[in-house]
Amino acid sequence: MADTALTERRSRADTRPRAPRGTRRRRAPWVGYLPYLLPGAVAFVVVIGYPLVTNVYFSLFKWRGGMAPLRWNGLGNYVDLLGDDKFWTSFGNSLAMIVAMVLVPTLLGLVLAAVLFDYLGRRFGERVSSVLRATYYLPQILPVAVAGVLWNWILNSQTGALNVILRGIGVETPPNWLGDPSTALPSVMLVLIWVQMGYPVVIFMAALQRVDPELYEAAELDGAGWWDRFRAITVPQIRPETFVVTLTCTVAALKVFGPIYVLTRGGPESSTLVPSYYSYLNFFDKSQVGYGSAIATVLTLVIVVVALVILGLQNRAERREREGV
Amino acid sequence: MRHKRTIAAVAAAVAGAMALAGCTGQSAAGGDTDDSTLTIWHYENDDSAMGKAWAKAIEIFEEENPDVTVDVEKQTFEQIQKNAKIVLTGDDVPDVMEFNKGNATAGQLAAQGLLTPLTDAAAERGWDEKLSGSLATTATYDEQGLMGSGEWYGVPNYGEFVGVYYNKEMLADLGLEVPTTLDEFEDVLAAFKDEGVTPLAEAGAEYPLGQLWYELVLAYGDRALVDDYQLFANDVDFHNDAMTQATEKLDEWIEKGYIASDSAALTAEDMGVSFIDGTYPIMVSGSWWFGRLATEMQADWGQFNFPGNTLHTGSSGNLWVVPANADSPSLAEEFIDITLRPEVQDVLATEGGLPVAGDPSVIEDERTRELTENFQAILDEDGLAYYPDWPVAGYYDVIVSELQSLVNRSKTPSEVLDGLQGSYDEGKADLLDG
Repeated sequence: MADTALTERRSRADTRPRAPRGTRRRRAPWVGYLPYLLPGAVAFVVVIGYPLVTNVYFSLFKWRGGMAPLRWNGLGNYVDLLGDDKFWTSFGNSLAMIVAMVLVPTLLGLVLAAVLFDYLGRRFGERVSSVLRATYYLPQILPVAVAGVLWNWILNSQTGALNVILRGIGVETPPNWLGDPSTALPSVMLVLIWVQMGYPVVIFMAALQRVDPELYEAAELDGAGWWDRFRAITVPQIRPETFVVTLTCTVAALKVFGPIYVLTRGGPESSTLVPSYYSYLNFFDKSQVGYGSAIATVLTLVIVVVALVILGLQNRAERREREGV
Repeated sequence: MRHKRTIAAVAAAVAGAMALAGCTGQSAAGGDTDDSTLTIWHYENDDSAMGKAWAKAIEIFEEENPDVTVDVEKQTFEQIQKNAKIVLTGDDVPDVMEFNKGNATAGQLAAQGLLTPLTDAAAERGWDEKLSGSLATTATYDEQGLMGSGEWYGVPNYGEFVGVYYNKEMLADLGLEVPTTLDEFEDVLAAFKDEGVTPLAEAGAEYPLGQLWYELVLAYGDRALVDDYQLFANDVDFHNDAMTQATEKLDEWIEKGYIASDSAALTAEDMGVSFIDGTYPIMVSGSWWFGRLATEMQADWGQFNFPGNTLHTGSSGNLWVVPANADSPSLAEEFIDITLRPEVQDVLATEGGLPVAGDPSVIEDERTRELTENFQAILDEDGLAYYPDWPVAGYYDVIVSELQSLVNRSKTPSEVLDGLQGSYDEGKADLLDG
């Protein structure tokens, strides 16, 4: 029976007029979308692809820039990086930047958003919580150069507001915040926490808007306190936003440049050096374009790997949630 | 056909680039493709001595070339410094541009083939006679971009040097005289410290501390050391007598409290402001502070050369350079020539701009004349010894970082010298390697 059906089908197909090869081949379904993809693809090539490939290309040469000759160096720049203490210091400092720009702001932001939404918002009204949310966000809209100048006024060892206050209350030798290698990195981290805090607060508060209020009400009826509600409802419900914040802030932390440039220029004694600033130093100040490009390439690679890991974790978490694990 | 045209265009572009990269020794004159516009880029404030002098030069140029439109574009120092390497590779470049001097700056552009050699023009127009000795050093660069020999690539019009500014009232209160030797200078510093006053305004996050260190190196060193260090005449052992004594002396001053222990992260601006407001009685820094002090400082103040030194941190001022892709190089040369004329140089003199070919007797203001005469005294001794961060690219950050370690007491003078030596040798090898 089955054989007969197959034979019938084949014979029907054979009776159709056959088009000459190559003239009427059926198009793949995605081909129709090509015109829509084209602008994005062109933009990607021009804005991302070409500069990236060029950067990798330059990293294989010794080059002073300008019209100076390119001299082939193979992987020499990368080999040099392996033995470069400053390069490793800069990546070590990147971990500190992740603590200051991802870990602390995300955790504090989560708590602050929950407090603003779940407690202050209910007790004092939506307007109070909106004003507070905007206040936390203020450093984000401040240009980084302005924030840097502001914090220099606060942290200046001699004339800074902080040390003036400390001297006023009897501290004879207050810390040299940005001048001492042992305090410079924590000081920069503090500034970054201040800059970064508003971002997760705003994202998390927006996320909380979409959580079903009945969940909280039910939990309250069951006698759950604020902390229980935060742990059992808030955190799991806004997990997708937490991943987004973690991803964007980690990328920002790895490529941080502006705050370092305006606050410490990598000093004192390289204690606040970060990869992007080190790349910039080589590129512009030292005219070692190839070496600067190699640093930028490694940094790009690290960012891509870290981003992929975070995205992978997010996908796995979503999958497990769908599967109800 | 179209294919052939493309090949021809590419070939012409490559040939042009190669010609530009290898066109050493040719005069720019006669190469104009546009003789109707002169485009000038500079970064001087209108009310500064240089700004007023350039305005005068432009006025003279316009009078003498009524058919030429002068297009002046104001830039910032940072803009030109950071972008020149990229901007000058294009076609939309100025005909003449102000640029910082030294191996790490103008030397880099010269080595990258981005500047027009001006050797023939310098000989024809007599610039090489007006600017001689340590002034001309910063105008010439060899194929590797090292100053002091090779082609002329720029022309300086004014000078700058590091000296000592002092608060006359604070010295008078303690009955102190202006010191004339290093020992006397230390006595003055000690006298202030004994009174509980930190004597030296300093800044570890930027150039001032490095310049003080270099003044001390010059106090113990000689011209041969300067030539070895700056011009790579011979290898430099940083543990030589002069550098060792200088670094130990600076360390001693920090330890004795002549320099504030919390000055590692202070900027030059912090230093200047604290000197102006009378927190510190003495500031070792450059002539570029002169105008600011004259305008802002309430207390009476004066300036003297670093006591006992015959060599001083300083050099010609910034250079006028002609980009390799300039449309009107011969107009540019004419403009440069005008900036060296007495009318323009006298504007620099009277405004405190330290002319390289001026006459101090035209200056009426006593302080300005004192500054200019102090500069002339250095020129008479051929005593300009340039800046400590000049020899190799990126050395500024190294000096800042190493001397911060000295202020923070995290390195000994010997370790600081090791750090300075390592980066110097590395940078020198890179430069000589091309």
